[in-house]
Amino acid sequence: MDCSGCCALIASGICFLIFLARFIHLVRLGNPKDLSQKSGDTKKAVKYSFTEAMMPKNKESAYLHLPTYIAGILYHIGTFVTLISFVSFIVISFTKISIPYSVSLIVAIILAPAVISGISILIKRIFSKELSLLSGPDDYISNIVTTLAQLLTAIFLLLPEAGDIYFIVMTLFFLWLPFGKTRHLMYFFFARYHLGYFYGWRGTW
Amino acid sequence: MEGNMVTIDNTKRDKAIDLLRSESDSKLVTHLNACVRCGLCADSCMYYLAMKEPKYIPSVKVNMVSSIYRKYCTFEGKIAPALVNAKKLDEEMAAEMVDLLFGACTMCGRCVKHCSIGVDIPFLVKKGREMLATMDLVPETLQSTVDAAVNTGNNMGIPTEEFVDTIKWMEEELTDEMQDERARIPLDEQDKELFYTLNPREPKFFPLSISAMAKIFYAANAEWTLSSKYYDVTNYGYFNANTKEATIIAENLYNEVHRLHGKRLILGECGHGSRANRWEGPNYLKKKYDFDTVTVVELIAEYIRSGKITLDKTLNKEIYTIHDPCNLVRNGGLMDEIRFVVKNAVENLVEMNPYGKDNFCCGGGGGALAMSEYNDRRLKIGKIKADQIAKTGAKVVITPCHNCVDQLTQLNHTYKLGVKIVTISEIVADALVINNK
Repeated sequence: MDCSGCCALIASGICFLIFLARFIHLVRLGNPKDLSQKSGDTKKAVKYSFTEAMMPKNKESAYLHLPTYIAGILYHIGTFVTLISFVSFIVISFTKISIPYSVSLIVAIILAPAVISGISILIKRIFSKELSLLSGPDDYISNIVTTLAQLLTAIFLLLPEAGDIYFIVMTLFFLWLPFGKTRHLMYFFFARYHLGYFYGWRGTW
Repeated sequence: MEGNMVTIDNTKRDKAIDLLRSESDSKLVTHLNACVRCGLCADSCMYYLAMKEPKYIPSVKVNMVSSIYRKYCTFEGKIAPALVNAKKLDEEMAAEMVDLLFGACTMCGRCVKHCSIGVDIPFLVKKGREMLATMDLVPETLQSTVDAAVNTGNNMGIPTEEFVDTIKWMEEELTDEMQDERARIPLDEQDKELFYTLNPREPKFFPLSISAMAKIFYAANAEWTLSSKYYDVTNYGYFNANTKEATIIAENLYNEVHRLHGKRLILGECGHGSRANRWEGPNYLKKKYDFDTVTVVELIAEYIRSGKITLDKTLNKEIYTIHDPCNLVRNGGLMDEIRFVVKNAVENLVEMNPYGKDNFCCGGGGGALAMSEYNDRRLKIGKIKADQIAKTGAKVVITPCHNCVDQLTQLNHTYKLGVKIVTISEIVADALVINNK
C-alpha cells in the first residue's frame, strides 16, 4: 500500500474510533428515565420505527417528494457500497486476491445512479429557496465529499491507476464523516430508536 | 416579539447553554446530531403550509438549537464554526428563537412522524424554550398565565369563592334536572375513588361541560370529588418550559390528590394538561405517582365497556367529526379510545382527512392561545383545520380538549364554518340513558 492508501487507512481508523467512542457514550447514557406509567410496548414500537414507519406510504417526506426520496435512497445505497468497497480494497491490498472485472463493473454500475442522485440533491439544495436558507457550508461539503467518494470508488474500480486520487478523496471523506452532518450515519439509528421508544411508551405505535 | 431585540444576561446565557450539555440519557445528544436539513419536514408543518416562508420549516427551528450546541459543545464547532453551521447564542439569535420557538411552533409533533430521520423536533423546540426561559425570555403573555397558576392555583386566577359559587350553581341545576338529591358536584370530599380536574375555562366560560361530566359520574354512580383549590388540570409550565414552575404546578395537584386521599386522578378534557400530568408530571416530581392517572376519555370508555353507563347514539343525530388533540393522540396514544367513545355516542361520524396520528393541530397548542402577540399567525395557520372541518360536511366537531375548543371556536367564527364545537363529555352526556328510579 502506498502513501495515499496509508493516509486513507489511518483516516478511516480515526473515523471508526470517533464513531465507536460516540456509540459507546450513547449506549452508556441509555434510555430516557421516564417515571410515568408506561402505556404501550416499546420493543414493538422500536421495531415499527425501523420498518413500517419508514415505508414511503407512512411518511409525507417520502410520498409527497418521491423523486427526492428515491434519490435519497439511491444515494445512501451508494454510500454504503462506497464504505464496503473501501474495506474490501484494504483487505485485498494485504492479500494476493484481485477483484474480477465483472464485479468491479457491477459495483460501478450500482454507484452511477448514486452519484447522479448526489449531484441532483446538491443542485436542488443550491437552487431551492427553502433549502438554500437552511443550508450552510456543512451541507455542501458533506454532499460534495460523499458524492466524490462514490464517484472515485466507481472510477477506481474500473481504472486502478486512479488509486492516488481515490485514496486522497477517501481520506477527506473519512475525516469529514464524524464532524459534518454525515455523522447522521450513526445518529440516524439512535434517532429512530428514540422515536419508537417515545411513541411505544405512550402507546401511540 | 418578531423583529424585537432582547437583552441577555451572560450568566443566564451560560446556564441556558449548559442545558444542551445535559447527559441524563442519550435522547438529547442524539436528536441534536441527527437532522440533515433535508427540509422535507416543511410540508408536514402547518406554519410553513399556511405561510410558505422558509423560516417556518421545522428544521430551521431545530437548527437554531443544534447550531448553538455545535458552537459551545462540540470540538468541530469550537475550532471551525463556519464549516459546521455552529452559531453563537447572542441577542439576535435569542430574538429569533423567541419568535420561532414560541411564536411559530405548537409542538404538535406532526413533523416528527414524517421526518425522514425521526428527529424529535418538538423535543428540541422545547429544549430551546427551556433555554429562553432560563434567560427570562418567555413571552410575557404566556408567563403571566404560568404566574397565575403558581400564585392562585389556576391559570385564570379564578378566586376560590367564585369557583365554589359556580360549582354550587351547577350542582343545583344538575339536581333539578335529574330530580335526584344524589346528583351532586362534590367539593373537597375525602377518600373518594375519583379526584376530578377541570380546565379553568370550564368554570369561567363553559360551566355546562362541568355539569355534563357530573351527569356522567351520576349515571355511573361514581364516587368523586373536585378540589376547590387545586382543580386545574392545565400546566402552562410545560409550554413556557420553566421546569421549576411546571414542577410547582404539578406538585400542587399531586399534593391535593394526597390531601383528599383520592385514589385515581382523572384528567379533565385538556390535551396539554393530560400530557403534563400523565406523562411529564412524574418526571417533574422525580417520582412515580402512587395513584392512577387517567384521562376522562379513558374513564368514559371504561364506563361504557363495563356497562356502568348506557348510551343511546340515536339521541345524537347530527353529522359529527372529531378533532384529535395532538397531546392526546399523537403524543398520548388515545386515537382508538376517543373513537370508541364517540362511536358509542353518535350515529354519524365523518373523519377528517388526515385524521388521528396524522391530524393537523388546531393551531392553538404549544401555548399559542395564551400568547396574544401571535394571534394573527395562530388564526392564519388555523385555516388548514378550518378547511379540514369544512370538507367533512359535519355540523358538530367533537374534541376532548378545551384548548382546542377555544381555537376551533375562533376558527368557526373567523372562517364562518357554521359548526358547533363540543367536548366528549358533552356529547356523551347528551346520549346518556339515565334510569334514576
